[in-house]
Amino acid sequence: MFRNIGKLAVTGLVLATVAAPSASAQDKVKIGAIYPLSGNAASAGNSSKAAIELAVEIVNGNFPDLKDLPLATTEGLPNLKGAKIEVIFADNQGTPAAGQNQTLRLITEEKVHALLGAYQSGITVTASAMAERHGIPFLTPESVASDLTERGFKWFFRSTPVAADFARSYSELLREQKAAGRKIETIALVNENTEYGNSVSKVIKDVFIKDGIPITTQISYSANTTDVQPQVLQLKEKNPDVVLFISYTSDAILYAKTMKDLDWKPAIMIADNAGFNDPSFVRTSGALVEGLINRSAFAAGKPGSISAVINEMFKKKTGNDLDDPSARAMQGLLILADAINRAGSTEPAKIQEAMKATDLKAEQLVTGYKGVKFDEKGQNVLASSLITQMTGGKYVPVWPKESATAEIVLPYKGW
Amino acid sequence: MSNTLLQVIVSGLLLGAVYALFSSGLTLIWGMMNVVNFAHGEFVMLAMYVAFMVYTSLGLGPAASVPIAAMALAAVGMASYFLLVRHIMKGPMLAQILGTFGLSLFLRYSAFWWFGSDFRTLPDTLVGSPFQFAGLRLDAPRLLAGVVALFVTLGLHLILTRTSLGSRMLAVSEDATAAQLMGIRPERMQAAAWGLAAGATGIAGALIATFFYTSPTVGETLAIVAFVTVSLGGFGSVPGALVAGLLIGLVESVSAYKLGPVYKDVVVYSLFVLVLWCRPQGLMGKM
Amino acid sequence: MQHRFFWIAVGVLALAYPILTMPFPVYQRLGALVLLAAIGASAWNVVGGYAGQVSVGHAIFFGIGAYSAVLGYHYLGLPPILGVPLGMIVCIAIAAVIGVPTLKLSGHYFSMATIAVAELVRVLVPTFDSLGGAQGLSGPTLPRTVLDLSFTSAMPYYYLFLTVLVAILFVTWRIENSRMGFYLRAIKDSERAARSLGVEAGRYKLYAYMLSAAMTAMAGGLYLTMIGFVDPESGFGILISVKMLIMAALGGAGVLFGPLVGALILVPLEEISNSLLGGKGAGITYVVYGAIIIIIARFLPNGLLALLKPTQVKPADAPNGSPVGAGEKHAA
Repeated sequence: MFRNIGKLAVTGLVLATVAAPSASAQDKVKIGAIYPLSGNAASAGNSSKAAIELAVEIVNGNFPDLKDLPLATTEGLPNLKGAKIEVIFADNQGTPAAGQNQTLRLITEEKVHALLGAYQSGITVTASAMAERHGIPFLTPESVASDLTERGFKWFFRSTPVAADFARSYSELLREQKAAGRKIETIALVNENTEYGNSVSKVIKDVFIKDGIPITTQISYSANTTDVQPQVLQLKEKNPDVVLFISYTSDAILYAKTMKDLDWKPAIMIADNAGFNDPSFVRTSGALVEGLINRSAFAAGKPGSISAVINEMFKKKTGNDLDDPSARAMQGLLILADAINRAGSTEPAKIQEAMKATDLKAEQLVTGYKGVKFDEKGQNVLASSLITQMTGGKYVPVWPKESATAEIVLPYKGW
Repeated sequence: MSNTLLQVIVSGLLLGAVYALFSSGLTLIWGMMNVVNFAHGEFVMLAMYVAFMVYTSLGLGPAASVPIAAMALAAVGMASYFLLVRHIMKGPMLAQILGTFGLSLFLRYSAFWWFGSDFRTLPDTLVGSPFQFAGLRLDAPRLLAGVVALFVTLGLHLILTRTSLGSRMLAVSEDATAAQLMGIRPERMQAAAWGLAAGATGIAGALIATFFYTSPTVGETLAIVAFVTVSLGGFGSVPGALVAGLLIGLVESVSAYKLGPVYKDVVVYSLFVLVLWCRPQGLMGKM
Repeated sequence: MQHRFFWIAVGVLALAYPILTMPFPVYQRLGALVLLAAIGASAWNVVGGYAGQVSVGHAIFFGIGAYSAVLGYHYLGLPPILGVPLGMIVCIAIAAVIGVPTLKLSGHYFSMATIAVAELVRVLVPTFDSLGGAQGLSGPTLPRTVLDLSFTSAMPYYYLFLTVLVAILFVTWRIENSRMGFYLRAIKDSERAARSLGVEAGRYKLYAYMLSAAMTAMAGGLYLTMIGFVDPESGFGILISVKMLIMAALGGAGVLFGPLVGALILVPLEEISNSLLGGKGAGITYVVYGAIIIIIARFLPNGLLALLKPTQVKPADAPNGSPVGAGEKHAA
């Protein structure tokens, strides 16, 4: 018996060794993408995966409709003799350890040239630390925890806006409405209690206090709860003028349903992205939240615009409209592709240099950022958000004025 | 008492009835066979998907999905018994945890693979609209689930205490060898118990689907509540699960409203641990 | 003779593994991950396997171990490894507080109470900003000195974990062959019988629980030195408790090498299936993982190492014997 186990172990080791791929030819540019493809955040992770795949198709193919988008009309990367991009996906399984293990695999076995990920901030922490130690550029297109860029990393970049950016957007919007005569005296903040809700709510509270429109009620709750009736009843009793939700999909669906069941709605309802932007939410509960204000870095603009064309392509591929986190992931891949092309090489140090020199203009982007330009900490200083509103089962951009396709309609209508 | 507090209490009791509903199957198996079913949450999840498919393919609501889900889950339960549980019952308690934990992962991710990771909901008008009653706002699907919870509890209790099937099942659970000598086939009785328990879980899942979201991981969210409910009530005690479910729902609701939602789990778990420390067999369990 | 040869071969292979896998960092790291998981599961085995008290709440001790390591760094700038002894002491104290009332519960009630206490801690931790709140805390990502144990290669971790595992197994082995081991097995077989023979069951269960807690804290602290980050879910999540348990159960609970064997199977299974299938995003990884666990539980309910004991009395084939504890009789 012992001998059999021994044999098995040896066979396993040999198999594992054979399975490890040898360094492949340099005709492809390999990018590793670490996303939650199983577990609670899988819905978002798989949507991001589809968006990144679409971005790869765009870079590798020829799309005259998208001529303003860098690399869209050339097949592959011209400065690397038309080399095609290949993305290797890995499942972070929602745990920091798995995120780190998979990062190591992508770097040492798949020999990726750059990395993208990892959705949850906590996993981005560990995955990017592994990339830093190996000297491979790591771009996070969606993790917002503020300290990510405060670690003194040299290989870490972030293209997404951080909480302070969108907190300012909400505040500006509300102050505009207040100036226009709308009653905005009481503001309630409802946030889930994991890292996302916790960190974003803190920033929003600080910004709102500074801007003279303090939060009057805060309700934090544990994510993936079985019931939100007490929260909604608390809101109903306090009856604030504005409610701001920070929630993941499962809870967002429950809030939308329960507010209808208990028949209460505020005059202005704002959702901070995440759950309320998930295609599953829009499909299942969009009809219950007409007039909901949301933030998004993406909104399908006028027909023929880059965002509209891409939204159509995404819809054809998945059946859903392109949602915000997925659009940001897609933008992340396009930023990396642009940098690698300018580097003209797959050497990590050259890609790192090119990333630092990135200078994309607003019209060259899928998302509604003002541009892409990284500061010395790796943060995109031109990142920004649009404010959107749920109109007829779809989010349309309503603020700021220059990107709006519709007027903001208040009060909140609900169901 | 303020009107809101009354509403909180009523909502909490309705929620508690739902907890009791999806815990009754778990307590039955636990009490009768001393088997912990870690895949219980996944049984609920499968029933929710059955309800969803009944709606999308036939356009029918709970009147059809409840019996269909009950039958489908009874089949799943009996299949689990014959293929897995029958064998792991011979091993130590750890083997049961191992086996049913494996089963839970297998079912959860099979659903994930088959249905995708999306969240789904049934239209909220399928059962009826929320309505106003004596100054309280009541939600029709939850009310239906709450009423059914009482009937399922009563039904299971009557089956166990008033029918010959029930007494044969109990005989097997108390002493399989003696029961066998009296001409009862233990395996049949245990399979029947699994079928019955999973069927009850099927009813629960089909009803929960009318007001909750359905996703492959929803079982995880629900399972821990079921475990707490069952052990608070006492393993094997169906009325105990009802009392515990109502108590937990009430405590959750009131503490979420009074102390803040973050602390509701803290209160429930503390209460649970305190009850066990003082009364190790749960509220209505036998020693 | 053959036995001795086998053990020497195992020892040499264990020592040489990181060198053999040098060209494949993923497999080198896999070795370290296996050892880390084996440390946790072996720690659990002391109370869960030998004493038969199935705790499903050991994540408390794992989490405290990990947090002690990172808090020392966060507040005092200490290398995380220095926080490990502190974590062990704290865990011994906490185990005593939890253990005295909870160990009075029997069977499933004990398991459920341990789950509840662990969940209680998991939901409380995010409410404390001083513990990093929900965001969690990072260790030193860029090493300041070698004491920070922040390495790119997994080799140093491997040998560190190997040393700790050997130490834990040695302690466990000494206990197994001591009077305490005898008492624990007696308690596991029948607590009532043990008591009637004059064994102070409560006291020995508590000793086992406290020792197990301290060892689990060590696993948590080592986890932090390697991964460099902990948040409430990755420190106190229920899955951590469950994984310790299933590894021990799979290999053989209450058997010295059971948890190690379980880790040797489950960790590579999880990592390799995730590497091969995870990127497809259809959750197939866990379908395979779940199916394999089911198959092992179905055919080897006493764990894989039960295979090696052909002399063991097979449990009665009666469809419902006494399920708890059946087939676990040891030749004491």
